[in-house]
Amino acid sequence: MSEKTINKKKENTFIRIILKLVGNEKWQHITIPILLILLSFIAASIIILILGKNPLMAIYNLFQGAGIFPKPSYAAHKSMLTDFLSLLNYMTPMIFASLAVAIALKGGLFNIGVSGQMLLAGFIATITIGYSNLNWGLAKPLVLIVGMVAGGILGGLIGFLKYKFNINEVVSSIMFNYIVEYVLSFFIHSYYIDPVSRQSRYISDASRLTLVNVELFGLKMDISIGFIIAIILAVVLKRFFDKSRVGFEIKAVGANPKGAKYAGINVGKTIILTMTLSGVFAGLAGVTYYLGYFASIQPKTLASVGFDGVAVALLGNTNPYGIIASSFLISIIDRGSNYMNSMAGVRKEIASVITGMILLFSACNAYIQHKIRMKKDKLEHVAGKEHEE
Amino acid sequence: MYEYIVEMRNITKRFPGIVANDNITIQIKKGEIYAILGENGAGKSTLMSILFGMYEPDEGEIWIRGEKVKILSPNHAAKLNIGMVHQHFKLVSNYTVTENIILGVEPIKKLFGIIPYVDIKGANEKVAELSKKYGLKVDPTQKIEDMDVSLQQRVEILKMLYREAEILIFDEPTALLTPQETDYLLKIIEELRNGGKTIILISHKLEEIKRVADRCAILRKGKLIDVLDVKTASTKTMANLMVGREVSLEIEKKPAKFGDVVLEVENLSVRNQDNVEVVKNVSFKIHSGEIFAIAGVAGNGQVELADAIAGLTEISNGTIKLNGEDISHYTVRERTIKGISYIPEDRQTYGLILDFTLAENLALKDYYKEPFCQKGKLNKDVINEYGRKLIEKYDIRSSLGVNTKVRQMSGGNQQKAIVAREIELDSPLMIFVQPTRGLDVGAIENIQKMIVEERDKGKAILLVSLELDEIMNIADTIAIIYNGEILKVAPKEELTVEEVGEYMMGVTA
Repeated sequence: MSEKTINKKKENTFIRIILKLVGNEKWQHITIPILLILLSFIAASIIILILGKNPLMAIYNLFQGAGIFPKPSYAAHKSMLTDFLSLLNYMTPMIFASLAVAIALKGGLFNIGVSGQMLLAGFIATITIGYSNLNWGLAKPLVLIVGMVAGGILGGLIGFLKYKFNINEVVSSIMFNYIVEYVLSFFIHSYYIDPVSRQSRYISDASRLTLVNVELFGLKMDISIGFIIAIILAVVLKRFFDKSRVGFEIKAVGANPKGAKYAGINVGKTIILTMTLSGVFAGLAGVTYYLGYFASIQPKTLASVGFDGVAVALLGNTNPYGIIASSFLISIIDRGSNYMNSMAGVRKEIASVITGMILLFSACNAYIQHKIRMKKDKLEHVAGKEHEE
Repeated sequence: MYEYIVEMRNITKRFPGIVANDNITIQIKKGEIYAILGENGAGKSTLMSILFGMYEPDEGEIWIRGEKVKILSPNHAAKLNIGMVHQHFKLVSNYTVTENIILGVEPIKKLFGIIPYVDIKGANEKVAELSKKYGLKVDPTQKIEDMDVSLQQRVEILKMLYREAEILIFDEPTALLTPQETDYLLKIIEELRNGGKTIILISHKLEEIKRVADRCAILRKGKLIDVLDVKTASTKTMANLMVGREVSLEIEKKPAKFGDVVLEVENLSVRNQDNVEVVKNVSFKIHSGEIFAIAGVAGNGQVELADAIAGLTEISNGTIKLNGEDISHYTVRERTIKGISYIPEDRQTYGLILDFTLAENLALKDYYKEPFCQKGKLNKDVINEYGRKLIEKYDIRSSLGVNTKVRQMSGGNQQKAIVAREIELDSPLMIFVQPTRGLDVGAIENIQKMIVEERDKGKAILLVSLELDEIMNIADTIAIIYNGEILKVAPKEELTVEEVGEYMMGVTA
């Protein structure tokens, strides 16, 4: 046997192992993303190696910082659980924002205005409920409701403009981002500013959606109420798109508006509904961000999580469960970067590089799937021939 | 010297789950028109894609001009002087004819002997000369976006000729053409043959093969059934061999029994997006038990008329009455509920949602009703069960049954799915626009039979077709539309094919 054929054999065995792992088409929607995430960590490791650091340590530190693995030492009243709960707290607005983007994408729309809708919802909830004297049993549900309504109205308005005047939703939502950002800054500066922090005044503890410094088992931790709601709503949303009539109509309009019209679906109404629903989720992202993770609003800035939501939604393949997983992953990288910086000496920007790589690799999903199918066919064919011989 | 210019010996090509070509041998002589006939999915296109270097055969040999070759890519095929006109053209729409033709083989000249530039002027002359030689009537400086389908096709032909192709493959070239354009194209093909080219014509239309081809290979389910001399074989024999059973080209019809008026259109006008009136003051009535056919050359307003009745386009004037009820301003769904089935011309844009499953598409007009949907919740089991029933009844073929994404199905089966869904709606008025476009003889026969059956059940049928044969075959009443106006309405018996043809061209005398 010549060297070439031996190499070929080796290569085939390698391909067979890969195929064994990700070849089953039933599980490919899970196995391929995992493979791609592993690949992006490998690629990031190479970069960390080039920087002269230990990539395994750096990545381990990243997970330690996020509360997935224990750190060697903790400050008083802190533990891994504290870190993990604040990870969930950080992750909550991201889940909502990504779900908002995903709803719009299912309906063939691109909601780049999640940040604006978040800010509007957060602002209105802050001034109506956040600064009131309501007790927590009343204030917390009202914050959620006000946020949903405010976000839904702005989202619905963008949908209405598209339906009535055929204004592209990308353009109008970017414009609304600016309008909301600057108009609300004016109000915050004029009426609600805290002169020391240069942010809006803090909201009442009763209205805050994150329970801060709760004492449990001798530890102090932040518990996000919004996180539980986010998980429940993700499950509801998944069932909504899989099973409900309205979900079917939204998907039909998203996949083929002309075909949907032909089928008798009211396309204009569905567009408005889709954007309203997307806005409702953006509103929830807003209140869990400004009245949960934070307790005040910084004027003249939009929350970057509204834009990150686009990437996270795509990484999660617009599937609500996928979005929970991808939010979790991206949050870990975000949250762990400081600790990685201080422990491994790898700059925290490298964390953004890892996030970027994951998004880049996940964009290749369809290509990889295609490649695997081709390889599988070829191997099966070769195997068939060998068998015949 | 060689006996055959193209020889494909014992070609076998397998795809997962299917043998597309099973041990096929064809031998083509220089200067003949060799037709390849077969149903949708018989393996015609695969065989030609192998010859054009797009697929590699699993087994078998290809000999070109007496030499054994391995064709690795379309570029390689072009070097062997093989050219192909695909069903879907591959042209850049904002480029001129010449720019499209020279793309990739630009003639380079040098200004002052150093600065290279593309010699558009020379290329224009060469293209014009080629166009004249074969009677293609193409203006080399016109842009593709300003040309109609038939002209674009001729640009594709010129592209092959410019690259000095000797063996020309046409993949269902007449699928998108009107009868007149088809006529013209067939003349061009004969002209090319007389000019010494070898033509391979993939088709499932028997008349055109009968008209121009010299020999004809018949494929069925991936196997070569027979090679016939077209001059001596009858269309009937060819059809039977192709389908594998007796096919009747004439549909048997009982005399029509007209009932009450179902659809009444009065002074209907429709404007298009550019505010041009495309349907002008049209009035007609369709009775139950009547097949009312609208004949006309493509683009004379028949599609807009059908869209307006179905509710997809707004009308600018007039009334539409269904069973006496004015439905002129009803929504699409209201009209569907009142009783309109509609098979649209463009099945992929309107008729289907390609990324949805077959079952979902089959229930596309019923999904919101009981039992498919209860209290806002879709019942997947009922939808799938209904899908299976229709797949069985209408012989819709797909790889994964009800769970197949419609995008992955063949055009013929997509069309069958739409026909199945619309007939199952059981509406008193059924609008069929080009229901048999792109289908093979067997499927055409089935669909035409179904239309006649529906008529006999007392449905009113509005048939819009570009195929004059189809109209003459099954219509009870014929209306001829020209430039948005109905020129003539008459019972079929009172009109001859020639008369209808003349009206279609706008001759009213």
